[in-house]
Amino acid sequence: MKKRYLIASLLLTGFATSSYADIRVNGFASIYGGQTLGSDDALYNYSDELDWQNDSLFAVQVSADVMDGLSATAQLLARGSDDFNAEFEWAYLTYEVSENSQLSAGKMRIPFYRYSDFLDVGYAYRWVRPPQSVYNLSFSTYEGLSYLHNSTIGELDSSLQLMVGAVDTDITAITDSDAAELKDTIGINWSLSNGWLTGRVAYFVSEASIDVSGSSELSGLLNGLQAYGLNQQYNNLAIEEDDAYFAAIGIGIDYNDILFDAEYTQFEIDNSILAKQTQYYVSLGYRMDLVTLSATYEGNDDENSNDQFNQVPRSITGPGGVQIPVVAPGTNPPLYLQDATNLALASQAAKSNAYSFTVRYDFHPSAAFKVEFTHFEDDLSNNDADLVTFGVDLVF
Amino acid sequence: MKNFIILTLILFTSCSLSAAVDVIVHPSNANAIDAGDIKKIFTGKAKSFADGSKALPITQADGNPATDEFNQNVLNKSSSQLKAYWSKLVFTGKGTPPEEAANDAEVVSLVSKNPNLIGFVSKGSADGSVKVVQSF
Repeated sequence: MKKRYLIASLLLTGFATSSYADIRVNGFASIYGGQTLGSDDALYNYSDELDWQNDSLFAVQVSADVMDGLSATAQLLARGSDDFNAEFEWAYLTYEVSENSQLSAGKMRIPFYRYSDFLDVGYAYRWVRPPQSVYNLSFSTYEGLSYLHNSTIGELDSSLQLMVGAVDTDITAITDSDAAELKDTIGINWSLSNGWLTGRVAYFVSEASIDVSGSSELSGLLNGLQAYGLNQQYNNLAIEEDDAYFAAIGIGIDYNDILFDAEYTQFEIDNSILAKQTQYYVSLGYRMDLVTLSATYEGNDDENSNDQFNQVPRSITGPGGVQIPVVAPGTNPPLYLQDATNLALASQAAKSNAYSFTVRYDFHPSAAFKVEFTHFEDDLSNNDADLVTFGVDLVF
Repeated sequence: MKNFIILTLILFTSCSLSAAVDVIVHPSNANAIDAGDIKKIFTGKAKSFADGSKALPITQADGNPATDEFNQNVLNKSSSQLKAYWSKLVFTGKGTPPEEAANDAEVVSLVSKNPNLIGFVSKGSADGSVKVVQSF
């Protein structure tokens, strides 16, 4: 932490002493309280006790024009969910290649979604939080390069972003914290807008590895498969340098104070225990001067395809044609690895939907008050939860 | 609700007064500049004039009558919408909002000294040291 501050202060002093450096300091903050309405209900890390940390954050961004066309930007972000420990969320250099294209290098946001870039800047959108069914990946930054090209195609504004880089962080996959590596991530993110209608597509490919040793059940199962020499089945379950893709399509309308947003995303890591995920939301909003009302419906559906089940044989042929049952050693009654694998694959399924109502009130030129009610339904367990969140987003 | 009524009244009165703004540039700036160009320059979508020279917009402080007028009539955005728009660009390294002047006089004085600048002032605030290219 100390080291980080030192870097920040060095950056600052380094630029400040250069007489040409134009330094800009901006920031944003969100202060939110929330609680679920039913006893023992939990949603988005909220419980039935009022919590002020989950969605609260504070960020300061320092950017400096180093010289002609070259700038450096660092964004320090302290999240309440992380005990307000400040971390560099973004830290990158940007070079203006031409008037309408820029090349950036460093730590940046992966543009998975329409609102990815300003995920944390609550002031920039109308919800308390972007629809979580879609915005549910537990990581959002990468290290690498980004090329952005803005142009006009006829009457349309086009914004094309190409990114290449890697992610190396702990994510929520099998457990809440699994070491993950996404190598050779390449992506394209393209938006077209005519002023009131915006369309967007994004597509990413990567080579994913996730260390599952945090889950004793899964690592035990993988070891078992290896012990029986079932390497193909092992590879179909383990997440080791597997091809992954992420695809998104989105639309946004802002017309005569009527707002509409919809996004659909799909994500899969091939030949792995992780299920193919599809998620979407549609959101309708209406702006009345300082007050914006929104209603949002969202859904998430994760499922492993049928051909992944029953891939583990119940027995293998040993020396002399003896049939050896493929079971977990020392289990009585014997636990067949086929059943254990099927269970593990089935455990990745998820199906949920939610609807929310949000009121945003711009009570100040740089701040907005929001209150949001969310009803969430888990379609597999038939559990549901109601959540109310309220608070303030500001920019400075 | 009471606030709403007051706000609506304020809005109506400001509309009926129909203050107007003049968009001004340096006298040496011979570019044809229409409403679309102005909108693009003030939203960061265009960074130069037709002749290729750099265009640097200057806005005025929030709450100045000229600012409100310009935001509504030229950019078609409320000050909150505009702030949200710039937040999206600022916090993603994709753009920087225009520099802000305190009042009409400061805009006139800055524009009169720099051929790259373009600003707006309340109707009638411009003097001979600048050129009015559009009025709204």
